[in-house]
Amino acid sequence: MGKVIVVTSGKGGVGKTTSTANLGTALALLDKTVAVVDADVGLRNLDIVMGLESRIVYTSMDVIEKQCELSKALVRDRRVDGLMLLAASQKNNKDDIQPEQMKAICDKLRTTHDFVLIDSPAGIERGFSNASAGADEAIVVTTPDVSAIRDADRIIGLLQNARIEPINLVINRFSPQLVGNGSMMDQADVLDILNIDLIGVVPEDSAVITSTNRGIPLVYEDGSPGAQAYMRIARRLTGQRIPIHSFEQKGLLNNIVNWFTRKR
Amino acid sequence: MNISIRQLFGRKPKSSSIAKQRLKLVITQDRFDVDDRVMTRLHHELAEVLAKYFEFSANSVKMDLKQEGNSYILVADFPYTKFHETNMRQ
Ligand SMILES: Nc1ncnc2c1ncn2[C@@H]1O[C@H](COP(=O)(O)OP(=O)(O)OP(=O)(O)O)[C@@H](O)[C@H]1O
Ligand SMILES: [Mg+2]
Repeated sequence: MGKVIVVTSGKGGVGKTTSTANLGTALALLDKTVAVVDADVGLRNLDIVMGLESRIVYTSMDVIEKQCELSKALVRDRRVDGLMLLAASQKNNKDDIQPEQMKAICDKLRTTHDFVLIDSPAGIERGFSNASAGADEAIVVTTPDVSAIRDADRIIGLLQNARIEPINLVINRFSPQLVGNGSMMDQADVLDILNIDLIGVVPEDSAVITSTNRGIPLVYEDGSPGAQAYMRIARRLTGQRIPIHSFEQKGLLNNIVNWFTRKR
Repeated sequence: MNISIRQLFGRKPKSSSIAKQRLKLVITQDRFDVDDRVMTRLHHELAEVLAKYFEFSANSVKMDLKQEGNSYILVADFPYTKFHETNMRQ
């Protein structure tokens, strides 16, 4: 039985779709079978970020309306074995789907895939309830700024009420330079506020933007700091124990202190 | 102490520490901000339980959340007119 993980955030534009695309691809590169599901009905993006937009024929709406079988609606990513995408309908809206219907789709997908990753829309309304309805676990994505962290805290509360656990945090668009000069909170600050487990830190990386332009997830070319960060998170999701990478450019003494005081 | 040394050297506090401080405050508030519907339900349920022991008029009842420093206190005023003594002996 596979795991269903919702990728969510509260605030929009913090990197949910980017993270779903890259973690899905990374897990497939690690020989796992993966289904990525776009739950952003009406504002679908996962297909274009992954470069699969020209191959979408059916969506989750068609499956729900019994216009086609689930297996037929899944688009196979030909670049790697074991990766499938279920697209969201672009002409419907979030209220056209019920949480139970999403849950039914997740429960089917978990019988055939090791990982089911759900790309949640921003917000705390229906789109979020639909995306999280079938989830066992959650990945909360935040950027290290006040609005995103405040909204992440709200979402974490809702996930806890829904008994979804573990809830793992991804800090995205982290800038070692800004942290170094005191204009950005570091990972310890963010964890101190949100108080959940950190599964990875993704640096600000222009390769994210160029890879999205091309429709080729970053992790296919394992060179950029962003790609490496996503590969490490994927390995942690498979249960490998990899220490959290430190991007901070502090002195040696500080690094030693950090090592002793880090959250495990 | 920390701040006074900084002030001595005329340095502004880092904006990241200001962000952290402000977030901690607002998130404590967010977390304790009880949904109005939940408060109404709690109000009804409390009144139901208390009605077994006391007599009071429903519109004299007040419930409120008060903040004292970092903690929140639920204050409920149920001014009663009579105590049902018989219930004590059951
Ligand atoms: N680590 C990063 N470095 C640089 N740019 C990034 C990074 N992560 C995300 N971005 C950029 O930020 C933008 C928003 O990302 P994305 O679409 O993944 O966010 P989202 O949370 O899915 O947004 P929405 O709430 O609208 O669904 C995109 O243009 C993306 O390329
Ligand atoms: Mg998105």
